[in-house]
Amino acid sequence: MAAIDVRKALVAACAVLGVSGPTARATEIETAVLGYTEPSRVSALEAVTDLRHAFADGKEVNFRLVLDALTGASASGATPSSRVQVFTRPSGSGSYQTAPSETPLDDTFRDTRVALSGGYAMPLGRVTTWDAGLYGSTEHDYTSLGVNTSLARDFDKRNTSVAVRAAYFDDTINPEGGRPEPFGAMQPAGQAQPRLTGDGAKQTLDLGVSLTQVVDRKTVVLLDYTFSQVDGYQTDPYKFLSLVDPVTGDPGEYLFENRPDARNKHIAYGRFVRHLGRDNLRLSYRLTDDDWNVTSHTVELHYRWNLGAGHYLEPHGRYYTQTAADFYRRYLVTGSDLPQHASADYRLGDMQAYTAGLLYGRPVGDRNELTVRFEYYWQTGESHPADAIGVLRDYDLFPTVDAFIVQVGYSLRI
Amino acid sequence: MRIKSVLGLSALLAIGLGAVGGCASMGVEPWERDLLAEPGMQVDPNPLVTALDEHIYFSKEAASGGLAGGGGGCGCN
Repeated sequence: MAAIDVRKALVAACAVLGVSGPTARATEIETAVLGYTEPSRVSALEAVTDLRHAFADGKEVNFRLVLDALTGASASGATPSSRVQVFTRPSGSGSYQTAPSETPLDDTFRDTRVALSGGYAMPLGRVTTWDAGLYGSTEHDYTSLGVNTSLARDFDKRNTSVAVRAAYFDDTINPEGGRPEPFGAMQPAGQAQPRLTGDGAKQTLDLGVSLTQVVDRKTVVLLDYTFSQVDGYQTDPYKFLSLVDPVTGDPGEYLFENRPDARNKHIAYGRFVRHLGRDNLRLSYRLTDDDWNVTSHTVELHYRWNLGAGHYLEPHGRYYTQTAADFYRRYLVTGSDLPQHASADYRLGDMQAYTAGLLYGRPVGDRNELTVRFEYYWQTGESHPADAIGVLRDYDLFPTVDAFIVQVGYSLRI
Repeated sequence: MRIKSVLGLSALLAIGLGAVGGCASMGVEPWERDLLAEPGMQVDPNPLVTALDEHIYFSKEAASGGLAGGGGGCGCN
């Protein structure tokens, strides 16, 4: 058995006994800049700053500011065609073209988002903590406001911790050009588009419970369950479907998508953390299921390779798979009855996604840390469905999406 | 697939309840928390990285939530 580090053991024991140590009152500022790019599609630049301050009496306040800017092209949902395709921009006042056999991408995707959140945590006695927070974000076509709270209690010498939490979000959607009518047909640029009146609204309620258990001196396990209920406008106003000829597969019209206005999700999550002598392992599994019939499995592994003197390398791998939503249609067929709901958004299709990454962290002085990480993310789906019609058999109906992520972070303890 | 999901959720719940039931034989004494206090032994040692990753996955996949919670927050087109 490895020798116990007496200094760390004293700090841990003081914390357990509720004795304030020299680090009880502290301020931590953490900031990161992340660049994200999908070649020939979306690029994003995101900056985040966290501020946390712990008071001597155990209370804590925290704030997070997020700024992100996105630009580039996003798949519209339309299928490739043997002809040049002309699409009306969301504003209705312009158009763009897609060459034969190319996947239609809406290149008007451009947005800036500001998100601000804050929280307050306070002890209720020696083993119970309560916290509450507020959230707000805005972009030119979307506003979100939220509140959250949680209550955590430790048991068994703080080897077991149980927490319950609730969060509520109220979102407003005001898309460029207005909200399209469900299954409304796209009209040529300059003509009146089929639009609904007013903004869209969406409410989300999350309820969760978690259990954190110290198993032994080298093992911690977390189990978590979340129920999420989403009501309101969940259609993507910028996505549409091709209405294709039943023989040739070429499109005649483009119909705006239509999603159900209710979704209930169940999310079960487990994480296993293990000390391996010098290094650390974090292994996670998540299962989600919802009444759109999307079932997903996610397995994620982080291996922290402690190099000594506070330096570490952390390889990261993730595998994700999901089933298609029951209203996912890659296209609609002329002459067939319209389904009640339909979307060709590839993010609702059968899909696998993979992430491979590496993070390097190093101390700066006694109290600060610098981190750099690189990640590669890619998605694959059903490129050539067996039941594809006409020319669609020749095209890739789910092109692989690649993304590269670079992040630099710095944390400062005062 | 739905039956599998229900079975999976039930299995996770059973594991959780089992863990609670078995807690009496788990855990450490306060003076044995030296390794558990290390940064690499935290359940989420870097919440900011987690939040950034979850935002990316939220905008690229149909499922979201878990360690960083579910919720709303952006159009993510």
